[in-house]
Amino acid sequence: MAYVATRGGERAIDQAERLFRAEMGEIDAARVEEIRRAMPYLVDRVMGEASLYDPDIAALALAQTGGELYEAVLLLRAWRTTQPRLQVAEPVAQEDLVTHRRISAAFKDIPGGQVLGPTLDYAHRLLATEVLTGTPYTPAAVEPAETPAPAKQPSVAHWQAANDLVDLPEPDTTAPEDIPDITREPLLFPAKRAHSLQSLARAETGSTLALGYAAMRGYGKAHPTVNELRLAEAEVMVKHPKGTVFSAGRVKVSQAEVVSKSGDKLQLGFAATLGWNEVKCIAAATLDLNSAGAEKGSATEEEFYLYHTEGVESSGFCIHFKLPHYVTFQSSLDAMRDANSKNANSKQEEPAT
Amino acid sequence: MSLSSLTKPWEPMSYGFLDPSAKRELRRKMLKAVAVPGCQMPYASREVPMARGWGTGGLQVSLTLINPKTRVKVIDQGADDSVNAASIRRFLARVSGAPTTLDTLDADLIQSRHRIPEEKLRADQILVLQVPNPEPLRPVEPNMSIARQMHGDADYGRMWLQLYEQIVRSGRVMQGASYPSMVNGRHVMTPSPIPRWDVPKLHMAKHLTILSAGREKRIFAVPPFTRVEPLVFDDVPYRVEEHGQLTCYRSGAEGFFMNEIPQPDGSALHEISDSEYGVKHIRTAQGEPDARGETWYQNGQMEDTP
Repeated sequence: MAYVATRGGERAIDQAERLFRAEMGEIDAARVEEIRRAMPYLVDRVMGEASLYDPDIAALALAQTGGELYEAVLLLRAWRTTQPRLQVAEPVAQEDLVTHRRISAAFKDIPGGQVLGPTLDYAHRLLATEVLTGTPYTPAAVEPAETPAPAKQPSVAHWQAANDLVDLPEPDTTAPEDIPDITREPLLFPAKRAHSLQSLARAETGSTLALGYAAMRGYGKAHPTVNELRLAEAEVMVKHPKGTVFSAGRVKVSQAEVVSKSGDKLQLGFAATLGWNEVKCIAAATLDLNSAGAEKGSATEEEFYLYHTEGVESSGFCIHFKLPHYVTFQSSLDAMRDANSKNANSKQEEPAT
Repeated sequence: MSLSSLTKPWEPMSYGFLDPSAKRELRRKMLKAVAVPGCQMPYASREVPMARGWGTGGLQVSLTLINPKTRVKVIDQGADDSVNAASIRRFLARVSGAPTTLDTLDADLIQSRHRIPEEKLRADQILVLQVPNPEPLRPVEPNMSIARQMHGDADYGRMWLQLYEQIVRSGRVMQGASYPSMVNGRHVMTPSPIPRWDVPKLHMAKHLTILSAGREKRIFAVPPFTRVEPLVFDDVPYRVEEHGQLTCYRSGAEGFFMNEIPQPDGSALHEISDSEYGVKHIRTAQGEPDARGETWYQNGQMEDTP
């Protein structure tokens, strides 16, 4: 009988995948709906990193991957990249955001007011262990304010600009269809402003925090003050083929603007992302604040932080080390053994001392 | 004429997974890469349903080149049955309907990680190499924008210095795989982590080689009949792995790149790395017609060492 190459590889990968999926069992619409309802912040984080706003699809990705976040984001990115792009929405100005939460650490009070909105900032982080013994945890009902905060809020930076404290960047008048798109073009350096903000918008939260934190601790030159942090909803305005501009719905967005003193003016750092993710936005804005003039190879240099906060790339490369590398290893061994035998020979030739 | 007669029905996925705009960009970048051999061309590099670092660059090239008649071979470390090679082969077949093969001579398109097959490739075949790190200057200059300038200036002094230091310290060049090589006398490229054994196969080869790094978003090429010269000093010749005298314990094949298989008694056996070539060897020994093609190495020697 002729020798047949073992095809064990194909069977093995099949079964390994089954083992992984067996733990999650059957996935139905109800499970996806429960994830979406119970974990809005996780769904938001995944949507931001995937740069795809669709809570149902994001919840499905979480269900399918059992909450393996890197896998969930990859699943969404691979789906996203194949989808046709039908429209580019109109730009959204800060003043137009339907704002749920908006705070500034720079002033005690700001025009429009400090709006705390939904947050755990002042909550005592205590586990509701009674839930495990059968007593459901029911959060106390929200008591609406007598006068609701206005839905739209002016930007703090505009007040600062009016008072000659900050120079606002020139408005970018690029037509929406012409804005450089990081999902359709390679990232090159020095990066286009649009690429840089888009990369931060879909950066991996943990790595953005790690590098942003390094900058905050002193590896960056500028110490951030949160000028304005917003959790909001943005109207997605698109054009009907007949020419009418209409809202296709709202998406949750978060944005952070940080400032630091630079000479006699304030310098701005900015980041925004899809979904509500405050930690990522503050960390990303801090990196943006520190990037101007940062030393090559430092954690606050744009090339350094944009490459290393790209979650799909970094996580993929990290796990690729599980792949066999025995050819490259053999190649190194060959050089090592040869060098070692030469060393041994030359030592033998040395006269005894 | 109606709208439905002009359009195709909706499908959840384009042919070959990538949408036409992604394929168009890849075709353009491949042409550029062929036009300037060894020069790294940046591309958008779409996400594919595999993790970055697992052959996504090679996969995007294969998905762009593939058609329902393309016969595809996929290898990892020389083996067709390696788990990731099996996964990529299955994916390519699933989204393109293309037939697959294990036989190097039978393949139109070969996607490979870390090896070039031992049998000579022909002018009608394309080799796609998966590239983890496209930048040969990375060990001496991790910053990509500086490295790009260095390529522009053909500033390779630090590469030579690195090789020189290895000779001074260790008595020989210590570079294992990914041996930096000058392409067409102008651009230094990494041939991807193929062993030194495989680099001479690229020199003046008849086939087109496309090297693609998905995670790092760079594509480069060695067109047919292009010089690929490993960086060496005049008085220190290039040396491939000393596998010329080794014999495969399974097939009896001799004089090819081998995998070392450690044995419990402290010794080691060797097994041919190009798995399908080993299979052909066994089949021939068992009396089947000899299906082996011409090989680059004969009796453990490269026929025209560059």
